[in-house]
Amino acid sequence: MLAYVLRRLLLMVPTFIGILLITFFVMRLRSTTFSEEAQATAGKGGEGVASSGDRKAGGASKRYQNLIDRFRRTGNDLPAVLNTHGFLASDDVLADLRAAAPDSPLKPSARSEREKELWLAGRFAVLPLAEVLRDDALAPLHGPASQALALCAHRTLDPPDFKRLPASEVNRLQARNQVLAQSVIGFRVESATPAVLAKDGSAAQAAIPAHYVTTDSALRAAAKRQALLAIADDPANQDEYGHSSGRAWRALLIDTGFMDFLRRLCTGDLYSETQQRGVFALIGERWVVTFWLNLLSILIAWSGSIALGIRSARRAGSLEDRATTGSLFFLWSLPSFFVGALFLHYLCTDRDAANKALFPASGLSSPNSLWMSTPLYLADLAWHAFLPLVVLSYGSFTSLSRYLRGNLLDQFNADYARTARAKGCSEDRVVYRHVLRNSSLTMITLGSGLLADLFGGALIVEIIFSIPGLGLLLFEGAKQMDIPLVMGSTVISVGLLLISILVADLLYAAVDPRIRSRYG
Amino acid sequence: MVETAIIGRKARSPSQLAQERFLRRPWVRPSLWLLATLALLGIYAPALVGDAALVWKDATGWHFPVLGELFNAWAFSKQHDVLFNLLALALPFLALGWVFLSRWSRVRRLVIFGALVIAGWVALCWLPIGTTVDGDAQTFWRRKAQSEHTIAHWRELDAQQQAPFAIFPLIPHDFDATFAGQAFKTVGSLNPDTGSRFWLGTDSAGRDVLSLILYGIRISLTVGLVATGLSMLIGLIIGGISGYFGGWVDLVLQRVVEVMMCFPTFILIVIVVAMLDRNIFVIMTVIGLTGWAGTARLVRGEFLAQSVRDYVAAAEALGLPRWRIMFRHILPNTLTPLIISATFGVAGAVGSESGLSFIGLGDPTAPSWGVLMEQGRQNIRYGWLIWSPGLAVFAFIIVLNVIGSGLREALDPRQADG
Repeated sequence: MLAYVLRRLLLMVPTFIGILLITFFVMRLRSTTFSEEAQATAGKGGEGVASSGDRKAGGASKRYQNLIDRFRRTGNDLPAVLNTHGFLASDDVLADLRAAAPDSPLKPSARSEREKELWLAGRFAVLPLAEVLRDDALAPLHGPASQALALCAHRTLDPPDFKRLPASEVNRLQARNQVLAQSVIGFRVESATPAVLAKDGSAAQAAIPAHYVTTDSALRAAAKRQALLAIADDPANQDEYGHSSGRAWRALLIDTGFMDFLRRLCTGDLYSETQQRGVFALIGERWVVTFWLNLLSILIAWSGSIALGIRSARRAGSLEDRATTGSLFFLWSLPSFFVGALFLHYLCTDRDAANKALFPASGLSSPNSLWMSTPLYLADLAWHAFLPLVVLSYGSFTSLSRYLRGNLLDQFNADYARTARAKGCSEDRVVYRHVLRNSSLTMITLGSGLLADLFGGALIVEIIFSIPGLGLLLFEGAKQMDIPLVMGSTVISVGLLLISILVADLLYAAVDPRIRSRYG
Repeated sequence: MVETAIIGRKARSPSQLAQERFLRRPWVRPSLWLLATLALLGIYAPALVGDAALVWKDATGWHFPVLGELFNAWAFSKQHDVLFNLLALALPFLALGWVFLSRWSRVRRLVIFGALVIAGWVALCWLPIGTTVDGDAQTFWRRKAQSEHTIAHWRELDAQQQAPFAIFPLIPHDFDATFAGQAFKTVGSLNPDTGSRFWLGTDSAGRDVLSLILYGIRISLTVGLVATGLSMLIGLIIGGISGYFGGWVDLVLQRVVEVMMCFPTFILIVIVVAMLDRNIFVIMTVIGLTGWAGTARLVRGEFLAQSVRDYVAAAEALGLPRWRIMFRHILPNTLTPLIISATFGVAGAVGSESGLSFIGLGDPTAPSWGVLMEQGRQNIRYGWLIWSPGLAVFAFIIVLNVIGSGLREALDPRQADG
């Protein structure tokens, strides 16, 4: 038996890793909307160009902070799969900068793409960018280069970092981030390409991200450049920015976003941006709801369909059997969201002041449930959970009971059933003690196959009835592009699903004497 | 017994027998009729819904503005409408030809029709689009202005006692026309702009629900066919390779299939669609890309069973290339379960798309049934926004399920339960 459990567990490992990989790749599908962001800030930040002095610097720093926030959410800390940034040289960086410059022949959208690529290169781009910044001959590119350098060198501190790192290190990093935020060199648009501006001012305005369209004096520009170079050259930072060939290869093969994601997953280090909390703390509050919803609904579906299946099989061909078949087929084709919406419309909405709704429209407990006694609280819970459970479980009835009916009909004529009848067993005993035990094997397999659908269905039901479960969390995260949250809740949902499938398998083994005997 | 059966009735091929069994199943015939009606309603939606007159006769002669409408870019919201419009024009020719040339062999008919239909499409497309000179052809097909030959135009002329003879579609306005001040009008209320009625009420933007549902048939048909076609294709390739080659290829591919089987597909679709932009074509592609696991498993089993047959050994001995053995020799023998699973697949894809739209991840610019239901969910008091699209989805799904289970029982009596 233990061998069987181990075998099932080991088979589950590649499946789980595969699911993690798919989730990860799906998250990577999202194109980072840096260009959109840049355009949005360009639209908003018109005053940055017009105004002067310190207000400008403050505005620039705020925009920088916006970008950094955006960056973090879209995965600055999750470099691309097969990360080749370790091989970046100053030539590559220079090519990107030239392509992104306002006078390059590329289209504005392609230009901001190149720039975005550079920003996403992360810490490996810091030293090559410093090379560019050091070269006086490349003065027109210092603005964009400083912008890229400041973004790449930035180390965003998550709440877990404060716990892990010593206070001195945290202070140093925070101070460094502050210097980076203030050291973006503004460059004059006029001096860059006056011709482009004169021809079609608006297009060029949109093409040049507004973050560095400021007017630094030569003195201030030099000071900012010195500050950036000092950070890049600081021996204390070499661990982070410097690269050797070994490190580059490690980045290519091991240090990808996937590994980073796995590490964060294993250490519980995922942090939700939109909810401002750790992902696992959020999931910890929510998963119980989904778990109970699914468990109850599978129990309802199972017991209900066993009863229905046995009844139909024993009265096979009768009017009742045909009516059951027909209505189950009808139910099977009825989309659950349609039923849910109808329930909401007819049972959960107040008609008028006199006709109150029969059932609550959302949540799992009344607002005053905290002051209720336990039986009252349970009754309240049942009142809230009744409709969601109905919507969730009615769809599973059909396949389970149809299958059981067919299977029972086959088994009724099997040799062992005839033997049981011949030795004088009552028909009830034949059905419940002999035939049903054989059929329950296939029922378990079929039930575990339905689990995946059930989890998808739970998502819809949680959304319809606003039940604070895992599905709703995942849905909200997905709508707001909160990637750590979506990843965390997907992994946990799938984990729950895999565990349930495992349990079904173990049940199967417990019921089936053949497996028991084979694995001892 | 056997002999009398042969003597007593004309001998029939297995496919004819299966066809008979299929049509004898209860509810199969009504379902087929309903499906055909739905498809025809969807294909001929421009003749039922639209602001261009079907026929308009005034002093300058006869006009058929609706024909030009079929290929005007502003007359439809989605590119796949062009395909449906082409189908609308080609269908009568196809049907006529099929009846008249029934003596010819099937292949010959197909080839000839293919050529004829393409020629007809080119001609029909060329006339309304290609004629740019302001000649007779153009006024025959086309309206000079968008407001010309509409019901509003006719009412204006009618007020001046100069109304021409005109026939309008049953719903004489564009399917996505928004009527100001007509939001959430109840079922059967009067539309003051056109004098017609909103037979199924209006939605939150003052659009007519019935016309949206009619155009929604097109969306659902496209989603179902494209998504299922895609998942069938992927499942066929992966399952075929897995079953035919076996060994470690099979082992690896089976793990991949298992991953897809274990993944709650709907959750995956929700995440992918949330990450990408909400376009109906993206949605159907995603549904297709995530739904192939069952097909792959099915095809693998069939290929596994077929690849040990003698005819495969013979083909291998002849030195035929592997893809030819797989797709020309084995594939036709595995089509039966594929067809059955495709029928259920279409129903599932339509359900997925509607569910996705229902929770607010649909394409807001497409006249999809789920998007209408989402409006009903947001404005829960207006029951017609739930009932009518919901019943449409339900009808579509149940019809396909009936046909699918009828096919399963007719083609593969062993698998039929009960």
